[in-house]
Amino acid sequence: MKFEKKRAATKQSIPTASLPDIVFMLLLFFMVTTTLREVDVLVSFRLPEAKAIEKIENKRLVSYIWIGQDGKIQVNDSLTKLEEVQKIMYAKRVSLPNVIVSLRVDKNSDMGVVTDIQQELRKASCLRINYSTLLKI
Amino acid sequence: MVQIKKRKKGEPEIPTSSMADIAFLLLLFFLVATVIDVDTGIGLTLPEFVPPEQQEVVPISKERLAAVLINENGDVLLNNEIIAIPQISKSLKPRIESKIELPGNKKLVVSVKTDRKTNYNLYIQALDQIKNAYFDVREAYSLQRFGKRLVDLDEKSDEIKEIREKIPITISIAEPEAIKK
Repeated sequence: MKFEKKRAATKQSIPTASLPDIVFMLLLFFMVTTTLREVDVLVSFRLPEAKAIEKIENKRLVSYIWIGQDGKIQVNDSLTKLEEVQKIMYAKRVSLPNVIVSLRVDKNSDMGVVTDIQQELRKASCLRINYSTLLKI
Repeated sequence: MVQIKKRKKGEPEIPTSSMADIAFLLLLFFLVATVIDVDTGIGLTLPEFVPPEQQEVVPISKERLAAVLINENGDVLLNNEIIAIPQISKSLKPRIESKIELPGNKKLVVSVKTDRKTNYNLYIQALDQIKNAYFDVREAYSLQRFGKRLVDLDEKSDEIKEIREKIPITISIAEPEAIKK
C-alpha cells in the first residue's frame, strides 16, 4: 500500500511583504525616543551607589555638573573654574526657573568640593539638586 | 505607412525586496546609538542663600533633631553616639514613627554634617540610609492607613498628600566648619 504525505494546500512561505512596515515602525519608535548625546564629558568619574533613589521625570529641566576624580569641574560642555559656576548657573536659572541640577560627582572625591559647588548653587539660587547615583543591587 | 509597433511595457515597479534590509540597517544604527538612561539619584532641596550678616540662629529642640556627623576618617556620630552607616536607618525609624501624629513644627529634622575631607561616597551612603528610613516609614504608613503600597498611589492623590504632610522629609545639610567664618 502506498502512503502519501498529506500536504497543506497553502503556500509554505512566510509573507514578507509587510516586513518593511514592521521594521519602519520599530525604527520610528527608536528615532523618537533617542536623545543623542549632546555634550562630551571631559572628566572621568564613577558614580556612587544607593538604594533609596528616585527618578527625575522631566529630563528637560535637568542641568548637569560633573566633578571628576581629579576635582575638575565641568558645566555644560567645558571645564570651568569654581568661581564661574555661579554665573553660569544663574543664567541657566533665569532661562529655566525650576531647573534641577544633577550633580555627577566621582565617588572618591572629597566633600569640600561638593560643598563649594553647593554654596555657589545657593548663591545662584538653583536650589533643587539631585546627587546622581546608580542603583545598588 | 510604416506602423510603429509599440513595445509593450511591463508595469513599472520599484524593487522593494531590499527595503527591509535598508530599514534594518537604520534600525540597528538607532538601536546602537540610543541611550535610554534614566537619571536616578537622591533629590534634595538646598536652603536659600542668606548673607552671613542676616543669618539668624533658630534654636531647635534636642527632641526633634537627629544630628549625623561624618568625619574624615569615616566615623559616624548620630546624636553623639558612634554608629555604623548601615545602622542609621534602623535607628532613625522609631524616631520618625513617633512623630507622625505631631504637628508640622515638631517633626524630626535630620541634620547631616561633614568635614571638608569626608569621602563623598560615605556621605551618599549616609544620605541614602536617612532617605531609606523615611521611605520605609512612609510605606508602612501607607499600607496601614490606606492598604496600598506607596508605588500604587497616584502622584496627585489626597493619600500621597497626607503622607507627605504627616511624614515630611526634612534633611538639613549643615555647612562644614571651614566655610563658617
